[in-house]
Amino acid sequence: MTLASTLVNVVVLAGFVDALGQFLRPENLASVFVDGLAKAAIYVMIAGGLTLIFGLMGVLNFAHGSMTMIGAYLGGLLMVFAIGGSTGPGVRLLTFFLALAATFALLAGLGGVVEVGLIRRLYDRPPVYQILLTFGVTLILDELVRIAVLFYGMQPTSDWQAALGTKPSFLAESVDLGLISVSGLSLFEIVVGAATVAGLWAFLTRTRYGLIIRAGSEDAEMTEALGIDVRRVFTVVFALGAGVAGVAGTLLMWDPAWGASVPLAADTLLPAFVVVIIGGLGTFRGTVVAAVIVGMADATTTWWFVNEIDFASLPEMTIFLILVVMLILRPQGLFGVEEVGGH
Amino acid sequence: MLHSALVNSPVGAEMVTVLPDVETMITVLYFGLFAMSFDFISGYTGYLSFGHAAFYGTGAYFVVLASNGKIPVLGTGTPFVYLLILAGLAAAVLAVLIGAVSFRLSGVYFAMITLGFSQVLYVFVRDWDYVGSNPRDGPAVLERTEPFSVGVPGVDSLDLAIGQLAGDSIEGFLGFLSFGTTEVSYYMIGLVVLVCYFAMQRIIHSPFGKVLVAIRENEERAEAVGYNTFWYKLGAFAISAFFAAVAGGLFAGFQRSVSPESSFYFLVTGDALLASIIGGFGTLAGPLYGWLFDETVTEFLSKAGEGGGLLPYLRDHLGEATMTTELYNGLTVGQAIDTFLNGHAELYVGVIFVLFVLFVPNGLLGTVRDRLGGPVGKQVAARLRGDE
Repeated sequence: MTLASTLVNVVVLAGFVDALGQFLRPENLASVFVDGLAKAAIYVMIAGGLTLIFGLMGVLNFAHGSMTMIGAYLGGLLMVFAIGGSTGPGVRLLTFFLALAATFALLAGLGGVVEVGLIRRLYDRPPVYQILLTFGVTLILDELVRIAVLFYGMQPTSDWQAALGTKPSFLAESVDLGLISVSGLSLFEIVVGAATVAGLWAFLTRTRYGLIIRAGSEDAEMTEALGIDVRRVFTVVFALGAGVAGVAGTLLMWDPAWGASVPLAADTLLPAFVVVIIGGLGTFRGTVVAAVIVGMADATTTWWFVNEIDFASLPEMTIFLILVVMLILRPQGLFGVEEVGGH
Repeated sequence: MLHSALVNSPVGAEMVTVLPDVETMITVLYFGLFAMSFDFISGYTGYLSFGHAAFYGTGAYFVVLASNGKIPVLGTGTPFVYLLILAGLAAAVLAVLIGAVSFRLSGVYFAMITLGFSQVLYVFVRDWDYVGSNPRDGPAVLERTEPFSVGVPGVDSLDLAIGQLAGDSIEGFLGFLSFGTTEVSYYMIGLVVLVCYFAMQRIIHSPFGKVLVAIRENEERAEAVGYNTFWYKLGAFAISAFFAAVAGGLFAGFQRSVSPESSFYFLVTGDALLASIIGGFGTLAGPLYGWLFDETVTEFLSKAGEGGGLLPYLRDHLGEATMTTELYNGLTVGQAIDTFLNGHAELYVGVIFVLFVLFVPNGLLGTVRDRLGGPVGKQVAARLRGDE
């Protein structure tokens, strides 16, 4: 090694140590932590529906990203229609939740139709065919949305900008939390994500229908023998999963890092797969934990990219590396069991 | 030739509408080869290699990088045929590395880990400034001035250049045949694809190939019989990656540029999957027909410019009165045609794909074989000989 290259190495190392010192300062750690939570909230929302569907039905739904994307457009449209002129932040927030509920209902309807019309025919075939079928559904949905967007001239015209403008102003501002200041949007995302997780959790563990769903996923034959129509439970779960995807999409609409676009389908599908597999296919608890892990990794690597390492794809690459390492070390995921799903 | 005969026939206008042009056929050839290599591993062993685009991308980037002098030892003027083989070997090594960890898994998990590997590569290449000044758009061949040519390196008369602009053309071959640059590219790329097809065909019909089918049908039993299935799967994966990289190399050689989206992205694997399902999963030649079908539908439905396609045909042959007829709420027939046909072939390809998955699970070639009772070539030969 020449003296020059040794010197370069020393300088690089010194810069790295310096950056590590910066990173470990409490205010930086705290802001990365909050960023990570906000990202975890988004990841858990885009992966939650996927894991529900896989957990009960054993169907790996490739169309999940498309449903998230449709949710983003629908949520945006509904907000534009409902808000119209200038209204206060409270009304806007209320409209957001109304749009959220409406998107949930519409997407759940779409999910129900897809399950009854298409997926139901494939339960007695090898699981690969369900992947293939939902992959085809993705192609159709994406192209239909593209036609609609072009036909109604939603993007990139100024009309559509109104959808982005429906965000209440206080979400764009920073909130001072003593040590650090956090963007209002991050806090909002954390709240909505936590509420969604809590809602799903309560539905699955505290209601009678949730009990039936869990029974069906444990042992479909026994549940059937007890006089419960498992086929109908499948439809409900698929609709529920699609609805949650729609809710996630509506949330993404306001986030400048995501927004509503047709490629959003692929952009959300892959992280959703990563989260679901790290957590263990079909376990809801695993998905929540995995979302936090992936969110924190994303926030950390984003910090390093902004401050030290000049490689824009660093966060995205880290996420896929975590997936690969996880599959090598523990293929069934954090909370997964070897055999899951089945009907 | 068949193409020109049909185009000049009385139903010429209809034929121009339906038939793909030669340039599309070149795409069909090299992408068909990629789809075949995907089917080689996924259709015959049953392991869905959802990151197969990694090998296609390796081949494509290898050719472009070597031509720009970015690969050590290899000069910018290395013959194209050598580049294809070296790219194939590089991909095979990569496949052994990926396969060594991936084949411990099966089913959905195998699909996901291969997808994971290919996405890592895709994201990495997209921001690696070594490949070109603008890695997001992908590199183009800049250093190499001589064209890529297929044939016997060093023998000029047996070596023909391919490419849209730099390719060779032939005047008066055998006294009466003339080929333009696209036609020469078509035949020369076709030659490589044909050689690769026969090679894969040979492997499938060897004892090695029989073990692969045994793994697909019942892996435990294959293992119980005494085969070490891990090594067979790994070998098949490496062979498949080799041909995928050759396909990628042909793609890069013809286009003279690549982009991460058209090579390493997971939807490229999705297209191969599409071709395999439509053509027939587990029939080696099927994916080529599947992709021909797919491209034909795409071109038929979406070509807006000159030449064939449904859109210009309708525009030319429907009267002005029909075009301005109002269908619904101010939407005229003309506008409706524009809205639903212009560039939206993906929609119809998706519908066809779903219908195939639901109703024709064996694909085009698989179904034809089922009807005939065996491979098409053998059956036709048997009928012709009259020994039924």
